[in-house]
Amino acid sequence: MGMKKKWAVSALAAFLVLAMAGCGSGNKADSGSAGGDTIKFASDASYAPMEYMDTDKIKGFDIDFIKAVMEEAGIDYTVTNTGWDTMLSSVKQGTEYQAGLSSVSITDERKETYDYSIPYFESTNMIMVKEGSDIKSALDLKDKKVAVQAATTADELMSGIMGVDNGNLRRFDSNAVALMELNKGGADAVVADIAIVNEYIKNNPDEKLTGIIDKENFGSEYYGILYPKGSEWKAKLDPAIKKIIENGKYTEIYKTWFGEEPDTQTLLNAE
Amino acid sequence: MDFRFDIIAHYIPVLLRGTAFTIGVSIVSIIFGSILGLGIGFGKMAPKAYFRWPFHCYINFFRGTPLYVQILIVHFGVVPAFYGSTNVLMTSFIALSLNSAAYSAEIFRAGIQSIDPGQREAAVSLGMTRFQAMRFIILPQAVKRMVPAFGNEFIVLVKDSSLLALIAAPEIMYWSNTMKGQYLRIWEPYLTAALIYFILTYSLSKLLNFIERKV
Repeated sequence: MGMKKKWAVSALAAFLVLAMAGCGSGNKADSGSAGGDTIKFASDASYAPMEYMDTDKIKGFDIDFIKAVMEEAGIDYTVTNTGWDTMLSSVKQGTEYQAGLSSVSITDERKETYDYSIPYFESTNMIMVKEGSDIKSALDLKDKKVAVQAATTADELMSGIMGVDNGNLRRFDSNAVALMELNKGGADAVVADIAIVNEYIKNNPDEKLTGIIDKENFGSEYYGILYPKGSEWKAKLDPAIKKIIENGKYTEIYKTWFGEEPDTQTLLNAE
Repeated sequence: MDFRFDIIAHYIPVLLRGTAFTIGVSIVSIIFGSILGLGIGFGKMAPKAYFRWPFHCYINFFRGTPLYVQILIVHFGVVPAFYGSTNVLMTSFIALSLNSAAYSAEIFRAGIQSIDPGQREAAVSLGMTRFQAMRFIILPQAVKRMVPAFGNEFIVLVKDSSLLALIAAPEIMYWSNTMKGQYLRIWEPYLTAALIYFILTYSLSKLLNFIERKV
Protein backbone atom coordinates (compact mmCIF):
# COMPACT_ATOMS: atom_id res chain seq x y z
CA MET A 1 0.00 0.00 0.00
CA GLY A 2 2.86 2.35 0.86
CA MET A 3 4.23 2.01 -2.63
CA LYS A 4 0.88 2.81 -4.12
CA LYS A 5 0.40 5.93 -2.11
CA LYS A 6 3.82 7.14 -3.12
CA TRP A 7 2.89 6.56 -6.72
CA ALA A 8 -0.31 8.54 -6.32
CA VAL A 9 1.54 11.45 -4.78
CA SER A 10 4.16 11.56 -7.50
CA ALA A 11 1.46 11.39 -10.18
CA LEU A 12 -0.27 14.37 -8.66
CA ALA A 13 3.02 16.21 -8.32
CA ALA A 14 3.78 15.58 -11.99
CA PHE A 15 0.39 16.94 -12.91
CA LEU A 16 0.92 20.08 -10.88
CA VAL A 17 4.34 20.69 -12.40
CA LEU A 18 2.73 20.40 -15.80
CA ALA A 19 0.03 22.79 -14.71
CA MET A 20 2.49 25.37 -13.49
CA ALA A 21 4.67 25.05 -16.54
CA GLY A 22 1.56 25.71 -18.56
CA CYS A 23 0.43 28.87 -16.90
CA GLY A 24 3.88 30.07 -16.03
CA SER A 25 4.59 30.51 -19.70
CA GLY A 26 1.93 33.20 -19.75
CA ASN A 27 4.15 35.46 -17.71
CA LYS A 28 6.96 35.73 -20.21
CA ALA A 29 4.82 38.04 -22.34
CA ASP A 30 6.52 40.34 -24.86
CA SER A 31 9.92 40.38 -23.23
CA GLY A 32 11.75 42.25 -25.93
CA SER A 33 11.46 39.56 -28.57
CA ALA A 34 9.13 41.84 -30.50
CA GLY A 35 12.14 44.08 -30.99
CA GLY A 36 12.67 42.88 -34.57
CA ASP A 37 10.88 44.76 -37.29
CA THR A 38 8.74 41.83 -38.39
CA ILE A 39 5.43 41.10 -36.79
CA LYS A 40 4.02 37.60 -36.94
CA PHE A 41 0.26 37.20 -36.88
CA ALA A 42 -1.41 33.97 -35.83
CA SER A 43 -4.84 33.21 -37.20
CA ASP A 44 -7.51 30.53 -37.16
CA ALA A 45 -8.19 30.39 -40.87
CA SER A 46 -11.50 28.54 -40.82
CA TYR A 47 -13.86 31.45 -40.96
CA ALA A 48 -14.68 32.21 -44.57
CA PRO A 49 -14.91 34.84 -45.90
CA MET A 50 -13.00 36.59 -43.10
CA GLU A 51 -9.99 34.25 -43.11
CA TYR A 52 -9.80 30.81 -44.64
CA MET A 53 -7.40 28.48 -46.36
CA ASP A 54 -7.55 28.12 -50.13
CA THR A 55 -5.52 24.91 -50.23
CA ASP A 56 -2.23 26.07 -48.68
CA LYS A 57 -2.79 29.83 -49.06
CA ILE A 58 -4.44 31.98 -46.45
CA LYS A 59 -7.06 34.34 -47.83
CA GLY A 60 -9.96 36.49 -46.75
CA PHE A 61 -11.05 39.97 -45.85
CA ASP A 62 -8.81 40.14 -42.79
CA ILE A 63 -5.80 39.10 -44.83
CA ASP A 64 -6.34 41.85 -47.42
CA PHE A 65 -7.04 44.30 -44.65
CA ILE A 66 -3.81 43.56 -42.80
CA LYS A 67 -1.86 43.77 -46.06
CA ALA A 68 -3.10 47.33 -46.51
CA VAL A 69 -2.35 48.20 -42.89
CA MET A 70 1.20 46.87 -43.06
CA GLU A 71 1.89 48.64 -46.35
CA GLU A 72 0.71 51.83 -44.72
CA ALA A 73 2.89 51.22 -41.66
CA GLY A 74 5.85 49.99 -43.72
CA ILE A 75 6.42 46.94 -41.55
CA ASP A 76 7.17 43.36 -42.63
CA TYR A 77 4.72 40.74 -41.45
CA THR A 78 3.54 37.17 -41.85
CA VAL A 79 0.16 35.58 -41.20
CA THR A 80 0.15 31.93 -40.18
CA ASN A 81 -2.79 29.60 -39.74
CA THR A 82 -2.24 28.21 -36.27
CA GLY A 83 -5.77 27.29 -35.24
CA TRP A 84 -7.75 29.06 -32.56
CA ASP A 85 -6.25 27.63 -29.36
CA THR A 86 -2.65 28.00 -30.47
CA MET A 87 -3.39 31.56 -31.48
CA LEU A 88 -4.83 32.32 -28.06
CA SER A 89 -1.94 30.84 -26.12
CA SER A 90 0.89 32.09 -28.30
CA VAL A 91 -0.45 35.63 -28.60
CA LYS A 92 -0.88 35.79 -24.85
CA GLN A 93 2.76 34.80 -24.56
CA GLY A 94 3.81 37.18 -27.33
CA THR A 95 7.11 35.51 -28.21
CA GLU A 96 6.43 33.35 -31.27
CA TYR A 97 3.44 35.33 -32.54
CA GLN A 98 3.01 38.94 -31.55
CA ALA A 99 -0.60 39.35 -32.61
CA GLY A 100 -3.76 37.49 -33.52
CA LEU A 101 -5.82 38.28 -36.59
CA SER A 102 -8.91 36.14 -36.66
CA SER A 103 -12.15 38.14 -36.52
CA VAL A 104 -11.77 38.32 -32.76
CA SER A 105 -14.63 40.31 -31.25
CA ILE A 106 -13.76 42.88 -28.65
CA THR A 107 -15.43 42.14 -25.32
CA ASP A 108 -14.75 43.40 -21.81
CA GLU A 109 -14.12 39.92 -20.42
CA ARG A 110 -11.48 39.23 -23.05
CA LYS A 111 -9.83 42.60 -22.40
CA GLU A 112 -8.89 41.29 -18.97
CA THR A 113 -6.39 39.02 -20.71
CA TYR A 114 -5.50 40.72 -24.00
CA ASP A 115 -5.07 44.14 -25.56
CA TYR A 116 -6.93 44.98 -28.75
CA SER A 117 -6.27 47.28 -31.67
CA ILE A 118 -8.85 49.94 -32.46
CA PRO A 119 -11.94 48.29 -34.01
CA TYR A 120 -11.43 47.43 -37.67
CA PHE A 121 -14.66 45.68 -38.54
CA GLU A 122 -18.28 46.10 -37.56
CA SER A 123 -20.31 42.95 -37.39
CA THR A 124 -23.54 41.73 -36.00
CA ASN A 125 -24.89 38.30 -35.36
CA MET A 126 -27.61 36.93 -37.57
CA ILE A 127 -30.15 34.16 -37.13
CA MET A 128 -30.40 31.50 -39.80
CA VAL A 129 -33.51 29.34 -40.01
CA LYS A 130 -35.16 27.10 -42.57
CA GLU A 131 -37.74 28.79 -44.77
CA GLY A 132 -41.20 28.83 -43.20
CA SER A 133 -39.90 28.87 -39.64
CA ASP A 134 -41.96 30.83 -37.10
CA ILE A 135 -38.83 32.41 -35.66
CA LYS A 136 -38.81 36.14 -36.38
CA SER A 137 -36.47 37.64 -33.80
CA ALA A 138 -33.88 36.69 -31.21
CA LEU A 139 -36.51 36.55 -28.48
CA ASP A 140 -38.36 33.81 -30.38
CA LEU A 141 -35.28 31.66 -29.85
CA LYS A 142 -35.77 31.42 -26.08
CA ASP A 143 -37.49 28.02 -26.09
CA LYS A 144 -36.01 26.77 -29.36
CA LYS A 145 -33.01 24.59 -30.05
CA VAL A 146 -30.21 26.91 -31.12
CA ALA A 147 -26.82 25.90 -32.54
CA VAL A 148 -23.79 28.17 -32.32
CA GLN A 149 -20.06 27.84 -32.67
CA ALA A 150 -18.52 27.57 -29.23
CA ALA A 151 -16.35 30.46 -28.09
CA THR A 152 -17.95 33.03 -30.39
CA THR A 153 -19.97 36.11 -29.55
CA ALA A 154 -23.03 34.27 -30.89
CA ASP A 155 -22.44 31.81 -28.07
CA GLU A 156 -22.15 34.67 -25.61
CA LEU A 157 -25.27 36.48 -26.86
CA MET A 158 -27.41 33.37 -26.81
CA SER A 159 -26.03 32.41 -23.39
CA GLY A 160 -27.33 35.79 -22.25
CA ILE A 161 -30.76 35.28 -23.78
CA MET A 162 -31.22 31.58 -23.00
CA GLY A 163 -28.97 31.04 -19.99
CA VAL A 164 -25.45 29.67 -20.13
CA ASP A 165 -26.50 26.21 -18.96
CA ASN A 166 -29.65 25.93 -21.07
CA GLY A 167 -29.57 22.49 -22.70
CA ASN A 168 -31.31 23.85 -25.82
CA LEU A 169 -28.34 26.08 -26.56
CA ARG A 170 -25.83 23.81 -28.24
CA ARG A 171 -22.24 24.86 -28.84
CA PHE A 172 -20.44 23.21 -31.71
CA ASP A 173 -16.84 22.91 -32.66
CA SER A 174 -17.28 25.02 -35.77
CA ASN A 175 -19.98 26.90 -37.62
CA ALA A 176 -19.87 24.22 -40.32
CA VAL A 177 -20.99 21.56 -37.83
CA ALA A 178 -23.62 23.89 -36.31
CA LEU A 179 -25.04 24.56 -39.78
CA MET A 180 -25.09 20.81 -40.46
CA GLU A 181 -27.10 20.37 -37.26
CA LEU A 182 -29.72 22.84 -38.52
CA ASN A 183 -29.76 21.07 -41.84
CA LYS A 184 -30.38 17.67 -40.25
CA GLY A 185 -33.18 18.94 -38.02
CA GLY A 186 -31.29 18.83 -34.74
CA ALA A 187 -31.55 22.59 -34.28
CA ASP A 188 -34.22 25.16 -35.10
CA ALA A 189 -31.78 27.97 -35.76
CA VAL A 190 -28.12 28.85 -36.05
CA VAL A 191 -26.77 32.15 -34.79
CA ALA A 192 -23.50 33.32 -36.32
CA ASP A 193 -21.72 36.35 -37.70
CA ILE A 194 -23.53 37.99 -40.57
CA ALA A 195 -20.66 37.43 -43.00
CA ILE A 196 -20.59 33.70 -42.25
CA VAL A 197 -24.36 33.30 -42.56
CA ASN A 198 -24.54 35.19 -45.84
CA GLU A 199 -21.67 33.16 -47.24
CA TYR A 200 -23.36 29.90 -46.23
CA ILE A 201 -26.75 30.86 -47.67
CA LYS A 202 -25.06 31.90 -50.89
CA ASN A 203 -23.16 28.61 -51.15
CA ASN A 204 -26.11 26.37 -50.30
CA PRO A 205 -29.07 27.64 -52.31
CA ASP A 206 -30.82 24.25 -52.27
CA GLU A 207 -31.21 24.13 -48.52
CA LYS A 208 -33.94 26.79 -48.41
CA LEU A 209 -32.47 28.93 -45.66
CA THR A 210 -33.34 32.43 -44.52
CA GLY A 211 -31.27 34.89 -42.54
CA ILE A 212 -32.84 37.17 -39.96
CA ILE A 213 -31.20 40.36 -38.78
CA ASP A 214 -32.29 41.52 -35.34
CA LYS A 215 -30.64 44.88 -34.68
CA GLU A 216 -32.56 45.32 -31.45
CA ASN A 217 -31.32 42.23 -29.63
CA PHE A 218 -28.04 41.68 -31.40
CA GLY A 219 -26.14 44.94 -31.18
CA SER A 220 -23.08 45.72 -33.24
CA GLU A 221 -19.82 44.16 -32.25
CA TYR A 222 -16.35 45.03 -33.40
CA TYR A 223 -13.38 42.95 -34.39
CA GLY A 224 -9.94 43.95 -33.24
CA ILE A 225 -6.41 42.67 -33.66
CA LEU A 226 -5.42 40.69 -30.59
CA TYR A 227 -2.22 41.66 -28.74
CA PRO A 228 -0.60 40.46 -25.54
CA LYS A 229 -1.09 42.78 -22.59
CA GLY A 230 1.15 45.85 -22.90
CA SER A 231 2.19 45.17 -26.49
CA GLU A 232 4.19 47.88 -28.20
CA TRP A 233 2.63 46.96 -31.56
CA LYS A 234 -0.69 48.54 -30.72
CA ALA A 235 0.77 52.04 -30.79
CA LYS A 236 2.57 51.29 -34.07
CA LEU A 237 -0.37 49.82 -35.97
CA ASP A 238 -3.40 51.74 -34.69
CA PRO A 239 -2.56 54.90 -36.69
CA ALA A 240 -2.14 52.83 -39.87
CA ILE A 241 -5.53 51.17 -39.34
CA LYS A 242 -7.12 54.54 -38.83
CA LYS A 243 -5.40 55.92 -41.92
CA ILE A 244 -6.62 53.22 -44.32
CA ILE A 245 -10.16 53.48 -42.99
CA GLU A 246 -10.10 57.24 -43.59
CA ASN A 247 -8.37 57.24 -46.97
CA GLY A 248 -10.79 54.85 -48.66
CA LYS A 249 -8.44 51.88 -48.98
CA TYR A 250 -10.51 50.02 -46.39
CA THR A 251 -13.76 50.74 -48.25
CA GLU A 252 -12.22 49.39 -51.44
CA ILE A 253 -11.25 46.08 -49.79
CA TYR A 254 -14.61 45.85 -48.07
CA LYS A 255 -16.44 46.25 -51.38
CA THR A 256 -14.47 43.50 -53.08
CA TRP A 257 -15.41 41.01 -50.32
CA PHE A 258 -18.95 42.04 -49.42
CA GLY A 259 -20.18 43.98 -52.43
CA GLU A 260 -21.34 46.94 -50.37
CA GLU A 261 -19.97 50.02 -48.62
CA PRO A 262 -18.98 49.81 -44.96
CA ASP A 263 -20.16 52.36 -42.42
CA THR A 264 -16.70 53.72 -41.69
CA GLN A 265 -17.98 56.58 -39.56
CA THR A 266 -19.57 54.18 -37.04
CA LEU A 267 -16.40 52.15 -37.07
CA LEU A 268 -14.19 55.14 -36.29
CA ASN A 269 -16.56 56.32 -33.56
CA ALA A 270 -16.70 52.88 -31.96
CA GLU A 271 -13.29 53.20 -30.40
CA MET B 1 0.94 33.18 -11.19
CA ASP B 2 -1.54 34.30 -13.77
CA PHE B 3 -4.18 31.66 -13.16
CA ARG B 4 -7.80 32.69 -12.66
CA PHE B 5 -9.38 30.42 -10.08
CA ASP B 6 -12.48 32.63 -10.05
CA ILE B 7 -13.28 31.55 -13.63
CA ILE B 8 -13.06 27.91 -12.59
CA ALA B 9 -15.22 28.52 -9.53
CA HIS B 10 -17.79 30.15 -11.78
CA TYR B 11 -17.88 27.10 -14.03
CA ILE B 12 -17.75 24.36 -11.39
CA PRO B 13 -21.53 23.71 -11.33
CA VAL B 14 -21.78 23.10 -15.06
CA LEU B 15 -18.49 21.19 -15.12
CA LEU B 16 -19.91 18.86 -12.48
CA ARG B 17 -22.99 18.37 -14.61
CA GLY B 18 -20.70 17.63 -17.54
CA THR B 19 -18.87 15.11 -15.38
CA ALA B 20 -22.17 13.39 -14.58
CA PHE B 21 -22.92 13.24 -18.32
CA THR B 22 -19.50 11.76 -19.04
CA ILE B 23 -19.89 9.12 -16.33
CA GLY B 24 -23.43 8.26 -17.41
CA VAL B 25 -22.58 7.94 -21.09
CA SER B 26 -19.46 5.89 -20.31
CA ILE B 27 -21.30 3.42 -18.06
CA VAL B 28 -24.19 2.88 -20.47
CA SER B 29 -21.80 2.57 -23.42
CA ILE B 30 -19.51 0.09 -21.70
CA ILE B 31 -22.54 -2.06 -20.79
CA PHE B 32 -24.03 -2.04 -24.29
CA GLY B 33 -20.58 -2.23 -25.83
CA SER B 34 -19.66 -5.34 -23.87
CA ILE B 35 -22.97 -7.11 -24.55
CA LEU B 36 -22.59 -6.35 -28.25
CA GLY B 37 -18.89 -7.19 -28.06
CA LEU B 38 -19.61 -10.59 -26.52
CA GLY B 39 -21.82 -11.47 -29.49
CA ILE B 40 -19.31 -10.13 -31.99
CA GLY B 41 -16.44 -11.91 -30.25
CA PHE B 42 -18.23 -15.25 -30.46
CA GLY B 43 -19.19 -14.45 -34.04
CA LYS B 44 -15.57 -13.97 -34.91
CA MET B 45 -14.71 -17.35 -33.40
CA ALA B 46 -17.37 -19.15 -35.45
CA PRO B 47 -16.07 -22.25 -37.24
CA LYS B 48 -17.34 -21.24 -40.69
CA ALA B 49 -15.33 -18.55 -42.47
CA TYR B 50 -18.32 -16.94 -44.24
CA PHE B 51 -20.04 -16.58 -40.86
CA ARG B 52 -16.97 -14.96 -39.31
CA TRP B 53 -16.57 -12.48 -42.14
CA PRO B 54 -19.15 -9.79 -41.15
CA PHE B 55 -17.86 -9.76 -37.57
CA HIS B 56 -14.35 -9.49 -38.87
CA CYS B 57 -15.38 -6.47 -40.98
CA TYR B 58 -17.15 -4.85 -38.05
CA ILE B 59 -14.11 -5.07 -35.80
CA ASN B 60 -11.76 -3.86 -38.50
CA PHE B 61 -13.95 -0.90 -39.38
CA PHE B 62 -14.41 0.35 -35.82
CA ARG B 63 -10.81 -0.24 -34.84
CA GLY B 64 -9.46 1.09 -38.11
CA THR B 65 -11.23 4.45 -38.24
CA PRO B 66 -10.99 7.33 -35.75
CA LEU B 67 -13.78 7.70 -33.21
CA TYR B 68 -13.90 11.35 -34.29
CA VAL B 69 -15.12 10.29 -37.73
CA GLN B 70 -17.43 7.63 -36.31
CA ILE B 71 -19.16 10.23 -34.13
CA LEU B 72 -19.77 12.47 -37.14
CA ILE B 73 -21.08 9.58 -39.24
CA VAL B 74 -23.42 8.39 -36.49
CA HIS B 75 -24.60 11.91 -35.68
CA PHE B 76 -25.28 13.19 -39.17
CA GLY B 77 -25.88 9.91 -40.99
CA VAL B 78 -27.08 7.02 -38.84
CA VAL B 79 -29.19 8.76 -36.20
CA PRO B 80 -31.09 11.05 -38.65
CA ALA B 81 -31.80 8.02 -40.86
CA PHE B 82 -33.61 6.19 -38.05
CA TYR B 83 -34.81 9.02 -35.89
CA GLY B 84 -35.64 11.74 -38.40
CA SER B 85 -33.31 14.32 -36.92
CA THR B 86 -30.06 14.43 -35.01
CA ASN B 87 -30.12 13.56 -31.33
CA VAL B 88 -27.07 14.12 -29.25
CA LEU B 89 -27.86 11.60 -26.51
CA MET B 90 -28.52 8.83 -29.01
CA THR B 91 -25.36 9.65 -30.92
CA SER B 92 -23.33 9.57 -27.72
CA PHE B 93 -24.60 6.13 -26.72
CA ILE B 94 -24.56 4.62 -30.18
CA ALA B 95 -21.15 5.89 -31.28
CA LEU B 96 -19.38 4.96 -28.05
CA SER B 97 -21.14 1.58 -27.73
CA LEU B 98 -20.37 0.56 -31.30
CA ASN B 99 -16.76 1.63 -30.93
CA SER B 100 -16.35 -0.06 -27.58
CA ALA B 101 -18.00 -3.25 -28.88
CA ALA B 102 -15.22 -3.71 -31.42
CA TYR B 103 -12.54 -3.57 -28.74
CA SER B 104 -14.57 -5.65 -26.26
CA ALA B 105 -15.08 -8.32 -28.90
CA GLU B 106 -11.33 -8.73 -29.26
CA ILE B 107 -10.91 -8.79 -25.49
CA PHE B 108 -13.49 -11.58 -25.19
CA ARG B 109 -12.01 -13.52 -28.08
CA ALA B 110 -8.46 -13.21 -26.82
CA GLY B 111 -9.56 -14.12 -23.29
CA ILE B 112 -11.38 -17.23 -24.41
CA GLN B 113 -8.70 -18.33 -26.84
CA SER B 114 -6.03 -17.89 -24.20
CA ILE B 115 -7.47 -20.90 -22.36
CA ASP B 116 -5.72 -24.08 -23.44
CA PRO B 117 -7.95 -26.09 -25.84
CA GLY B 118 -7.05 -29.18 -23.80
CA GLN B 119 -9.32 -27.91 -21.04
CA ARG B 120 -12.34 -27.95 -23.30
CA GLU B 121 -11.38 -31.38 -24.60
CA ALA B 122 -11.05 -32.64 -21.03
CA ALA B 123 -14.42 -31.20 -20.03
CA VAL B 124 -16.12 -32.73 -23.08
CA SER B 125 -14.51 -36.11 -22.42
CA LEU B 126 -15.91 -35.95 -18.87
CA GLY B 127 -19.36 -35.81 -20.45
CA MET B 128 -20.02 -32.06 -20.51
CA THR B 129 -21.68 -30.49 -23.53
CA ARG B 130 -19.71 -27.83 -25.40
CA PHE B 131 -21.97 -25.16 -23.87
CA GLN B 132 -21.34 -26.51 -20.36
CA ALA B 133 -17.62 -26.61 -20.99
CA MET B 134 -17.74 -22.97 -22.06
CA ARG B 135 -19.98 -21.92 -19.17
CA PHE B 136 -18.27 -23.78 -16.31
CA ILE B 137 -14.69 -24.39 -17.38
CA ILE B 138 -13.51 -21.86 -19.94
CA LEU B 139 -15.42 -18.62 -19.20
CA PRO B 140 -14.62 -18.44 -15.47
CA GLN B 141 -10.91 -18.64 -16.25
CA ALA B 142 -11.16 -16.38 -19.30
CA VAL B 143 -13.06 -13.67 -17.42
CA LYS B 144 -10.27 -13.46 -14.88
CA ARG B 145 -7.81 -12.82 -17.68
CA MET B 146 -10.13 -10.31 -19.36
CA VAL B 147 -10.54 -8.01 -16.36
CA PRO B 148 -7.35 -5.93 -16.83
CA ALA B 149 -7.90 -5.49 -20.56
CA PHE B 150 -11.51 -4.65 -19.96
CA GLY B 151 -10.64 -2.10 -17.31
CA ASN B 152 -8.22 -0.52 -19.74
CA GLU B 153 -10.98 -0.30 -22.34
CA PHE B 154 -13.26 1.42 -19.84
CA ILE B 155 -10.61 4.01 -19.03
CA VAL B 156 -9.99 4.67 -22.72
CA LEU B 157 -13.72 5.05 -23.25
CA VAL B 158 -14.02 7.66 -20.50
CA LYS B 159 -11.25 9.70 -22.09
CA ASP B 160 -12.50 9.23 -25.64
CA SER B 161 -15.95 10.47 -24.66
CA SER B 162 -14.35 13.94 -24.71
CA LEU B 163 -14.63 13.78 -28.51
CA LEU B 164 -18.39 14.13 -28.09
CA ALA B 165 -17.81 17.85 -27.54
CA LEU B 166 -17.58 17.93 -31.32
CA ILE B 167 -21.34 17.49 -31.62
CA ALA B 168 -22.11 19.63 -28.57
CA ALA B 169 -22.80 16.82 -26.12
CA PRO B 170 -22.77 18.59 -22.76
CA GLU B 171 -19.84 16.69 -21.27
CA ILE B 172 -16.66 17.87 -19.54
CA MET B 173 -14.80 19.09 -22.63
CA TYR B 174 -17.89 20.87 -23.89
CA TRP B 175 -18.18 23.02 -20.78
CA SER B 176 -14.48 23.63 -20.72
CA ASN B 177 -14.72 24.90 -24.31
CA THR B 178 -17.54 27.17 -23.21
CA MET B 179 -15.34 28.55 -20.47
CA LYS B 180 -12.58 29.12 -23.00
CA GLY B 181 -14.91 31.05 -25.27
CA GLN B 182 -16.17 33.41 -22.65
CA TYR B 183 -12.76 34.50 -21.42
CA LEU B 184 -10.45 33.52 -24.30
CA ARG B 185 -8.21 31.77 -21.81
CA ILE B 186 -7.07 28.24 -22.36
CA TRP B 187 -5.15 27.03 -19.33
CA GLU B 188 -7.96 27.35 -16.82
CA PRO B 189 -10.45 25.29 -18.87
CA TYR B 190 -7.97 22.70 -20.13
CA LEU B 191 -6.21 22.03 -16.87
CA THR B 192 -9.52 21.82 -15.05
CA ALA B 193 -10.79 19.34 -17.62
CA ALA B 194 -7.56 17.36 -17.38
CA LEU B 195 -7.83 17.23 -13.60
CA ILE B 196 -11.44 16.02 -13.75
CA TYR B 197 -10.58 13.29 -16.26
CA PHE B 198 -7.59 12.32 -14.18
CA ILE B 199 -9.69 11.99 -11.03
CA LEU B 200 -12.24 9.91 -12.94
CA THR B 201 -9.76 7.53 -14.53
CA TYR B 202 -7.60 7.28 -11.44
CA SER B 203 -10.53 6.32 -9.22
CA LEU B 204 -11.62 3.92 -11.92
CA SER B 205 -8.24 2.21 -12.03
CA LYS B 206 -8.30 1.89 -8.23
CA LEU B 207 -11.73 0.30 -8.47
CA LEU B 208 -10.49 -2.05 -11.16
CA ASN B 209 -7.49 -3.08 -9.07
CA PHE B 210 -9.92 -3.96 -6.32
CA ILE B 211 -12.08 -6.01 -8.68
CA GLU B 212 -8.99 -7.73 -10.09
CA ARG B 213 -8.05 -8.91 -6.63
CA LYS B 214 -11.59 -10.15 -5.95
CA VAL B 215 -12.11 -12.30 -9.05
